[in-house]
Amino acid sequence: MKQVITQASFFLLVVGAVSNSFAAPMGFKNSWMLMGDFSKTYQEFGLNYATTANDAFGISASAMQTDNSVSKQQNLEAVYTRKLARWNLPEAQANIWFIGGLGSTTGNTFTGSKAMASPGIQVDYETTRFYSMASARVYAAQGATSNITTARLGASFYEADYDEPQPWIVVEARRMTFVSKQYEFTPMVRVIHKRYFVEAGANLSGQLRFNFMYNY
Amino acid sequence: MKQINLIIAIALMGLSQTALASMKVTVNGMVCSFCAQGIEKSISKMDETKAVFVDLKNKVVVVEAKEGKTLNEKLISQEIKDSGYDVVKIETISQTVAQFRAQQKDKK
Repeated sequence: MKQVITQASFFLLVVGAVSNSFAAPMGFKNSWMLMGDFSKTYQEFGLNYATTANDAFGISASAMQTDNSVSKQQNLEAVYTRKLARWNLPEAQANIWFIGGLGSTTGNTFTGSKAMASPGIQVDYETTRFYSMASARVYAAQGATSNITTARLGASFYEADYDEPQPWIVVEARRMTFVSKQYEFTPMVRVIHKRYFVEAGANLSGQLRFNFMYNY
Repeated sequence: MKQINLIIAIALMGLSQTALASMKVTVNGMVCSFCAQGIEKSISKMDETKAVFVDLKNKVVVVEAKEGKTLNEKLISQEIKDSGYDVVKIETISQTVAQFRAQQKDKK
């Protein structure tokens, strides 16, 4: 069993990797995107504005803590999001995103505030019934570097009309090295309805998870 | 004289039909309402737009013009591109958005 998990972890690392588990990390041109990701070990709140179809500028505040709440770190960043590539297919869409933050971090494992850079990449492919994503992001600060690697697979219960809410089942594998070297697996229910996107679930340890995005 | 009146009437009918026509745009990449809502929002803001319908299942966007207004094909195409999608084909159709929606519903 342990070997299977190790192999799965290796696969996820190869596929791609770190956080920002959002479906599309920016909206359409001249729109605002509000994002949140909340669990016991990771909380993030972000806002960005898309100046073009490919570029968005925003801010993000995030906090990480270990399962036992002993180690904690908080990050405050200005974030640039770039859609590096998009493939619009007749029945599908695929994207490559760059997400990069510059800011500062504080925590109880070091003193004071440190400058931090957080480059990351996300790839995704989705149809009206299937969703897949892999992302990797490094939170680099002197003596306090960690990374978040995420992969997701999802399937929709049915193909919805534009005006109908669409429910999905999504399973996420996420490894936050600040928290643990192990992947956490989180099944979630996702509902998409026009400008609203919400996800709720719990990881296999029973820790609750809630994500949302709002585009306007 | 009667012939001239008839020609004018036919011409006006033709103009009227053109002004009231809708555009049916086939779009690649539309897979969910969260992503595609930018299309509806941006095209709805255009002065000549009366109604917009995004049909995710058939991957088309139907835009209906206001009475007396003419839809700008290039602008619509650009708005869809700015929303992140690719326009494959643009056709003029005689149906309104409501009629097109009703037709799609009947097909189910």
